[in-house]
Amino acid sequence: MNMEYEAVIGLEIHVQLNSAAKMFCDCPNRPGDEPNKNTCPICLWLPGYIPKFSQEALEKAALVCLVLNCHLERQSAFDQKVYYYPDLPKGYQLSQAHQPLAKSGWLDIAGEDGRPKRLRIRKIHMEEDVARLVHETEGRTPISLVDFNRAGTPLVEIVTEPDMRGPQEAMEFVRTLRTQIRYVGSSECSLEQGSMRVDANVSLRPRGSNQLNTKVEIKNMNSIRNLGEAIAYETSRQMGSLQSGEAITLHTRLWDAEKRLTVPMRGKFEGPCVPDPSVAQILISDELLNDLRSRLPEMPQPKTERFIKQYGLAEEEAMLMSSERDVSEYFEAVVKRNISPRTATHWLAAQMLPALKERNESLRDTPVSPERLASLLAMLEKDEVNANSAKEVLTRLFDSDQTPEAIVEQYGFKQVSGASELEELVDQVLAANPSAVNNFRSGQAKALSFLIGQAMQASQGKANPKRIREILMARLI
Amino acid sequence: MQSDIFVYMDSSSPAILESGPLTGKRVAVQPNMSVRGWPTEAGSVALRGFVALEDATVVERLRQAGAAIAGSVRMSELGFGLVGDTGARALAEGQADIVLMTDVMGEARVAAAAIGTFGFKPSYGIVSRFGLIGLVPSMESFGILANSPEEIAAVMRVIAGRDDRDFSMPECKTPDFSQVRENQEPMRGIGVVRECVEALDPAESRAFREALCRMEEAGLKVEELCLGDFDLFRTVHNVIGAVEASSSSGKYDGVRYGHRTAVARDWNEMYLRSRAESFGLLLKTYLFQGAYFQFENYAAFEKACALRARLLEETAVLFKKVDALAFPAIRQSFPPSKANSIQEIYEACALTLCANVTGQPSIVVPGFVLAEEGGLGLQIAGPHLSDARLLSFAFRLTNSAKGVR
Repeated sequence: MNMEYEAVIGLEIHVQLNSAAKMFCDCPNRPGDEPNKNTCPICLWLPGYIPKFSQEALEKAALVCLVLNCHLERQSAFDQKVYYYPDLPKGYQLSQAHQPLAKSGWLDIAGEDGRPKRLRIRKIHMEEDVARLVHETEGRTPISLVDFNRAGTPLVEIVTEPDMRGPQEAMEFVRTLRTQIRYVGSSECSLEQGSMRVDANVSLRPRGSNQLNTKVEIKNMNSIRNLGEAIAYETSRQMGSLQSGEAITLHTRLWDAEKRLTVPMRGKFEGPCVPDPSVAQILISDELLNDLRSRLPEMPQPKTERFIKQYGLAEEEAMLMSSERDVSEYFEAVVKRNISPRTATHWLAAQMLPALKERNESLRDTPVSPERLASLLAMLEKDEVNANSAKEVLTRLFDSDQTPEAIVEQYGFKQVSGASELEELVDQVLAANPSAVNNFRSGQAKALSFLIGQAMQASQGKANPKRIREILMARLI
Repeated sequence: MQSDIFVYMDSSSPAILESGPLTGKRVAVQPNMSVRGWPTEAGSVALRGFVALEDATVVERLRQAGAAIAGSVRMSELGFGLVGDTGARALAEGQADIVLMTDVMGEARVAAAAIGTFGFKPSYGIVSRFGLIGLVPSMESFGILANSPEEIAAVMRVIAGRDDRDFSMPECKTPDFSQVRENQEPMRGIGVVRECVEALDPAESRAFREALCRMEEAGLKVEELCLGDFDLFRTVHNVIGAVEASSSSGKYDGVRYGHRTAVARDWNEMYLRSRAESFGLLLKTYLFQGAYFQFENYAAFEKACALRARLLEETAVLFKKVDALAFPAIRQSFPPSKANSIQEIYEACALTLCANVTGQPSIVVPGFVLAEEGGLGLQIAGPHLSDARLLSFAFRLTNSAKGVR
């Protein structure tokens, strides 16, 4: 980055709420179902029908506002954003332009210098998603099909102030925002799966100046990494323009993830926003506000601090265990069953989560419940199985409903810890490997690992490695 | 089945209740009011072939009260203006006992005045709009034409009240329509807006003043009041009405129902041509006006919204001084059935549209304002939710001043 200029970045983030029903009717909010399965006269906007605003969507949206530290407006209203496109068959999108749901929020992120930085949120408003267009050909004729499953899915749009100064901050903001929203259960916030869409407004200005210059909007980034790359690319592209004396013009560009660059997009028609006469004003009562506040869970930051204090975790471990609500709840459910917090952390992070990812399962629906994992870890902690065997047992827990104890029994994973058995084993290994014994005695520490490995192998992995080491040391020194 | 009055008739309409409050009454509706299985084209090519999937709440309630839905009359395109509308004729020629007409700027009341009968627009928000294919959602409501205030009250008693399918209805107490003949607090002070009277031509003014005298003879206190912004009602209605019409007609794309153009290169052209071929010139002009305010002059629309709020306040001030306001319903010089341009339509409805702007109830009583070429209709507008008192007033006035034509 040139020393003379700095980037000024603001984000516009659309988040699909995971309410059970759509925003203005009772249709299931499942955009991915068989096309046009989840439709009714309201979301098809047939004449004579009147939208019915969903309380569930309001509450999911309001929780988003609260965890983003916004001021919830007691009174808000819908407007009609007028534009004509086949994905919007009534000619306008219901959105909140004039009276948004919430204003003036913020999120603290770790800034590029490592210190916390507060980024402001200008406003959050609700709107309905539009239908999905599918372009195909029928013979040689191109045809466009409209799938209304997504029409009426509730969205919130989060508009930040232009407080970010680089791609790292933008990426960190989106990560933090995603964590917060997932915590209250309002959305999965997946850029990859389309439940979150992030557009960035990027402009440049001389460092030290307060002015806001002409911005360029960039769209179509479908991962946080792409967001960072697109902002970095756009920053250097604008820098190049400025250095060659070209003016920056207000326009929209699309990120091309293949070519890793932004390309200009056909100008989008910006329609007016007219107050909607059919959806009643949205009022947030004291009662609702108190109810919403009481439903807020313990959020990641305080939870991290508590995990450090209560369980003695290192900061990094505590953050790992608290960044997702499901993980934190699973973790505590395991710890509650008298498993040491560090063992629980280690097994969750290094074994459970990677295994779930591989199997495309989640902590919510996996057959490896906290109870089952805790039983396994209890055996590990009591030296009844060793770590290698425990990993084998865990793999089997995913595919069977047997208890860990039964699996250990059935497959003979029980750890051999008896002194006489192990001493016999060690003596055999020492006798079979005289050169390694000599090497160790002449100062090669590696030889010990070799001998432990031989002993473990001889026990078919069932020996307690700690005990083996102790016996070996006693014999060798 | 069709006739020159009905675009669709159903002789087999089943009577659900043999002794309901409306048993034996034949109700005519307009084809923008949903009756399950009936063609519901709202007088527009844009809805050609559209068949209602369900009964409008109003239709459902009328049937449950024993009324027979006799047919749907011919109507102007999407209910804008009265050219081609046969609702009033259905009543005048005895083809129906009750006619429901969409009242966007007074059409139901104007049509009633033109044939010398009773026409009523209820308070905004007390009758469900579910199933009404409307044009200007914040101003329109079901209007009722009938030969007596009691019949209107009987209909209101059946159709008014909350409906869990019209989510736009505000929380309010539905007026009690059961005692229209008695028990309603009588109206005594009637206001007349000076600016309205001054705008009438001499013959109209004379007829209106005579009617006022007859009201005074009937024991009412008539008081002249000032409403300096009276002229603005029409402008406010035109600007907001056109904008809402433009928005609410956006859904007529010819893709899922209605007329679709035969040939088009792409979807954009298909929309443009389908809509160009669907709407008539009059409606197109109105929608175009709305688009102008939406896209080119939003500030004027915002101003109109602010003026609407001001007119509501000013009207509320008048209702602190009097129980109701009296106006003629129609102008002799602007016959509604011949109003073919936006300007003529607004002229013809200039005196009734005030109640649409404010959402207040208004009733037209025949036989009082009599000009040489026919009755102009006495329009009485009351404050919000005074519907039952207004109907009671119309009943008493009609019965206390016997001997009128």
